[in-house]
Amino acid sequence: MNRRLVGITMVLALMAGACGGDADIEVSDIWGRPSPAVATNGAFYMVITNNTDAADHLISASSDACGVAELHESMMNDGVMSMSPVDAAGIEVPAGGQATLQVGGLHVMCIDKQADFDAGETFDLSLEFENAGTIVVEAEIREDL
Amino acid sequence: MTDTLIPEETPAPRQRFSWMYALVAVPLVIAGMVFWWGYNRAQPHQFSGAVIQGSTAAPDFTLWSDDGPVSLSDYEDKIVMLYFGYTHCPDVCPTTLTDAAAAIESLSDDEAEDVQLIFITIDPGRDTAERMGQYVAHFDESFVGVTGTEEEIGSVATLYGIYYRAGEGTEASGYLMEHTATLLVIDRNGNLKLVIPFGVQYDAMAADLRYMLR
Repeated sequence: MNRRLVGITMVLALMAGACGGDADIEVSDIWGRPSPAVATNGAFYMVITNNTDAADHLISASSDACGVAELHESMMNDGVMSMSPVDAAGIEVPAGGQATLQVGGLHVMCIDKQADFDAGETFDLSLEFENAGTIVVEAEIREDL
Repeated sequence: MTDTLIPEETPAPRQRFSWMYALVAVPLVIAGMVFWWGYNRAQPHQFSGAVIQGSTAAPDFTLWSDDGPVSLSDYEDKIVMLYFGYTHCPDVCPTTLTDAAAAIESLSDDEAEDVQLIFITIDPGRDTAERMGQYVAHFDESFVGVTGTEEEIGSVATLYGIYYRAGEGTEASGYLMEHTATLLVIDRNGNLKLVIPFGVQYDAMAADLRYMLR
């Protein structure tokens, strides 16, 4: 009887462990464009998915690849492109929704690049969320035409 | 009993009927395809940006690359693409230059020889000629990057209707530029022909260049 009980408990424990479910915040498709060292600044783009039922905010980012990383947004008004830093509240990721950082829009600005960004290379990017805490992701450098 | 009522000759007429059907249908289909192809070729080309009708001569200018002075008139008989931006730009300028490089790359060697892109900085305070040269070389060996004094840049930008202004950045980023982010295309007659907005994909740009080179 004991052995069977232990056996069943082990199976149940394994099953419970396997049922991790989705992470609270998922970050996918993290990429940046190739750029030479003389291009002082670069940008990282990504899709952030919030699987919880409370809004979260990406409040900051950092990487060894960047002297400083900041959150910025490009905006187009009548053919004029401008860019401004995202305010202290950060980038909102709505409950059960997504935030997209993409070309011509929100991005992680990699200020004072510490390396050439060559196609195929990857860099670790540390993202700080208000609720979810720190998530480290891998950014891929690619052409993306 | 029913067997004897079916005449033996029935299959033959059916075969003849399919042959005739094919003889009529195939030429019709071919004619349709030829017509469709001809019709498409006769359509006016759809440009990816605003077309400037008539002849608007693109004003000449001289600015400074790391190889010496560069004038628009150096490139007579070529298509010249002008892009105004700055090297501290993280997002928009690299995207446009990457797309333009890809567009030119997708042309034949003969076609590509007749296209010249000039990248003009609207941030002469930080963009030296040497810096501009290193920056554009990354996108395409043929690209030329130029700078000038504040006055020189201001006057060329004004001639081409390009707006730019230094905006506040952060302490880390330094000042950021806002600027008209269009790609200007001057045809081989030296007329400003096309204003391509930000976001146009390289294949649409290439189609425009091919059309202008034909």
